[in-house]
Amino acid sequence: MTVSPDTQRARAWTWAITAAGLVVWAALPWFLSRGTIDILVFAGLYTIAGLGVSFLLGQCGIVSLAQSGFYGIGAYAAAYGTTALGLPIPVGIIAGMVVSGAIAAAVGIPVLRLSGHFLALATLALAIIAHVLFLELEWLTGGTLGIGGIPRIALFGFTFSTPFRFYYLVWPCAFALILFYTLLLNSRTGIALRAMRDAPAAAAVAGIPITSLKVRIFVLSAAVGSLAGSLFAHYVSFISVDSFAIDRAISFLLIAVLGGVRSIPGTIAGALFVTAAPNYLSRLGDIHPILFAVALIVAVIFLPGGFGGFVSSTWRRLTAGPRPSATGGP
Amino acid sequence: MTLTLLVQSVLAGLTNGFVYGLIGLGIAVVFRGARIINAMQGDLALIGSVVAYLIAVSLGLPMILGFLLGVVAGGVTGFLVDRLMIRPTAKRRGTEDSFLLVTLGGAFAVSATVLLYFGRDSYVLPGIGGNAMVDVFDAAMRVHAIWLIVISTGVVLALRWFYAKTAIGQAMLAASIDPEGALTLGINVGWMRTMTLALGGLVGGLAGVLVAPLINIQYEMGLLLTLKGFAAAILGGLTSPFGAIFGGVILGLVEALAVVTISSGYKDVVAMTLLIAIMIAMPQGLFGRRGRLGG
Amino acid sequence: MLRAGLGTLALAGATIMSPMAQAQGATGEPLKIGAIISLTGPGAGLGNPQRQGMLLAEKTINAAGGVNGRPIRILIEDDGSKPDIAKSKAERLMYDEKVSAIIGPSLTASTGAVAAITNAEGLPTLCFTGLGPRIELTYKSLFHLLPAQDLNAKAMLEYSTKELKAKKIGILHDTGYGQVVTNQLNVHRQAYGVEFVAIEKFEVGASDVSAQAAKVRAASPDVVFVIATSAVPFRNARQVKIEQPIVSAIGSSTYDYVRGFGEYADNIIYPEFVVGEQPKDNQKAFVEAFQKEYGSLPKNFEAAAWDSVHIIAKAAAKAGPKAGSKDLAAAMRGSYPGVMATYDFAKDDMTGIELSSYVFSKLVKGKFERLSFTTK
Repeated sequence: MTVSPDTQRARAWTWAITAAGLVVWAALPWFLSRGTIDILVFAGLYTIAGLGVSFLLGQCGIVSLAQSGFYGIGAYAAAYGTTALGLPIPVGIIAGMVVSGAIAAAVGIPVLRLSGHFLALATLALAIIAHVLFLELEWLTGGTLGIGGIPRIALFGFTFSTPFRFYYLVWPCAFALILFYTLLLNSRTGIALRAMRDAPAAAAVAGIPITSLKVRIFVLSAAVGSLAGSLFAHYVSFISVDSFAIDRAISFLLIAVLGGVRSIPGTIAGALFVTAAPNYLSRLGDIHPILFAVALIVAVIFLPGGFGGFVSSTWRRLTAGPRPSATGGP
Repeated sequence: MTLTLLVQSVLAGLTNGFVYGLIGLGIAVVFRGARIINAMQGDLALIGSVVAYLIAVSLGLPMILGFLLGVVAGGVTGFLVDRLMIRPTAKRRGTEDSFLLVTLGGAFAVSATVLLYFGRDSYVLPGIGGNAMVDVFDAAMRVHAIWLIVISTGVVLALRWFYAKTAIGQAMLAASIDPEGALTLGINVGWMRTMTLALGGLVGGLAGVLVAPLINIQYEMGLLLTLKGFAAAILGGLTSPFGAIFGGVILGLVEALAVVTISSGYKDVVAMTLLIAIMIAMPQGLFGRRGRLGG
Repeated sequence: MLRAGLGTLALAGATIMSPMAQAQGATGEPLKIGAIISLTGPGAGLGNPQRQGMLLAEKTINAAGGVNGRPIRILIEDDGSKPDIAKSKAERLMYDEKVSAIIGPSLTASTGAVAAITNAEGLPTLCFTGLGPRIELTYKSLFHLLPAQDLNAKAMLEYSTKELKAKKIGILHDTGYGQVVTNQLNVHRQAYGVEFVAIEKFEVGASDVSAQAAKVRAASPDVVFVIATSAVPFRNARQVKIEQPIVSAIGSSTYDYVRGFGEYADNIIYPEFVVGEQPKDNQKAFVEAFQKEYGSLPKNFEAAAWDSVHIIAKAAAKAGPKAGSKDLAAAMRGSYPGVMATYDFAKDDMTGIELSSYVFSKLVKGKFERLSFTTK
């Protein structure tokens, strides 16, 4: 395999920037106020849930609005497992992921045969069904009142009780998943996925098991969403059905698209936008939801590839050296 | 179950069904002519109803004027949506998801603006025939709901005529089905999209003035209407105005019958499960032959 | 208009001012109070009246010399009706702004999220919601300004059985607020010897619930309970010819909703606390001040918000300037004769509102009329 000097240079830069980013990430909480760190923790939680949605959309072309359902299952598994059944924390989290994965497999097999807007509506229908069930199954979910007193996560006697501490739990999880998804993208599965997305007919002829591949990615996405939900429950220590409604499903989709569905780390930027923007804009008074909507519209119009797409196209221009770029520029 | 109860649930289902269908109709019009899912359709109805209220109730001008200006306000908003949001997105080669999200942002903006400047109250817009009711086997139906059904049906027929018989309607369809071919015929494709969005806006504004007397005007009504309207439009195959109304009626009837036969708590579970089942069994929708083109 | 009311307001706030400060208003280091309410999103109908009540109280108290010379400063944050944002706002107010107490949130879910962190520090939290999940009974610094739904349910049953002599009741409720009240109604059903002949629900924001209403009507109840935070079910109930009296719950007793009822705002009974048109003697000064300031009549949420600020001011005056958050919370644990109701925060349910604090009102042609019925 030959590697051009350009590519080599780009790789070196990628590593350098990643390393610098990690240093900044590790140092950040020491300089920020508690309120700001709390927002960053939520950004971390939403990054995890958003990654599942982003990968599904970017690599399989599946618009999923069902993520709020899996996020909810993870949260309720963690809450019910620890407060009602007295199970150890990891058991609740894993149970949530298993249940979410199983449900995703069961509904995914019929539903993922649909495509385009039909599939989007089907996942929206799933989210609505999940929300109704969260309301109706009061013995499990506490209904409208919710469940409180969910224990904090503790490792080796260290309790992740404050935003500062939880920051160092949620973000490594998010980074690990980013790495995992990046490796998946560059694996044989990733190649098969791209073939399936860009040339479905050819992929079918080449013997790629399309439906089973889609279902597997959907199951993975559900498990990831469930993990985010469990972490959310243990972080806030209180959950109620209001956190798992359709608006949450929409915000996960926003994160994926704003971050750029072809860019895995871009999800972080999408999550930061969705968590930080409403928080900071609300200081400007009652007009803040309008400003958020305008910011959203502007971001979508001017960044058609999302934040991730913007960064990578700028990146290509910069690393391509003095030669005119083939892809850049309108 | 008594006859009255059955009749009442069918009437409620029909009323709700035409409400969903009218929103779905706008979604179908926009999708048919521009291949865009307009997540603002319910909020166009909100705008129409707010304008009608301001004119007919706040200013006390004749109802018919409020009604007409409400419809026009929807059309003007549709025009602006194209110029301010759709066109710039298309120019930067936005994806299908970009259009969905940019209109979603528009929906958030409309709802937040109504909350800020119109208030959090729920307002009552007078209906056609006031609050008069008709009795059907001791079950009741608003006279206005009957008008809603009649007018929606009229609009569907008018749209059918518009697309089949008028030059501009055919140009709009051509521009959407085969943009490049349409260009060679001298059709201004961009302008046709603007017209489509404005037409969708008119239908949205009409939905607003017709629906508001039944459900009250309230800043949050847009997105809820859009969700049900989306379901109605998809059931109808996404490109068919008649299908959208039919899809809405199916959805409304299933919900209402689920209430009286199963349980009101699980109404949405029944309706949504059925929706998924219909889509799997009939991937073209109930009426669209080109339904899948959306994907 | 803003200045006009100050004279009366100063009198209304006279209980906690020092004579020295009265002349020149409050000057010292401000007493910071955080407030997290829903000003946007589905709960906006709650947060806006609450903001009016709090701001009026802040102005009144400061004009009267503040708390031992310290002015009160309320930092109001909007949670957009979302529990996650409420939690972030609470972190900011507690740790970055170092407020002495938190007022709000407006919604049960946000309260749960906020209380989980204020409880850890023992920071006094005065929420505008009734008692939430059972865990809240262990939160000793979380005070509820509105009665537990258990009490709302009892008040509805009191009126229905004692005044309307109902035996069969039909219920039409939404899946949010209505569900919680209905659960409590089920708990007390037997004690009141009534039968629930139909219980029908609909999702929050439903556009037409006549099918559910028809099912309630078909069960021929003596009285119908409509418990929801929207005007739609009230209108639909009358449209499908439910002619029985409707008894509702405090959550929809606001002028906003009543306007939405249109001509159906008739023969609907509310067990509530403030009828601005005919206030109780201890409410008159507040209602007058509110009307002067805003040009409209207050209802329950405005009064609860007014009380919340006064409760903190009183406790802060009692605990002294050096008091930490735990001392402030301790100073609140006791009875307080508020405008909305008489509270006793030393009680197990952290609200101490008695059934006797309720007043009963009836909508007659769009207007609230206070009824002579009391639970005593």
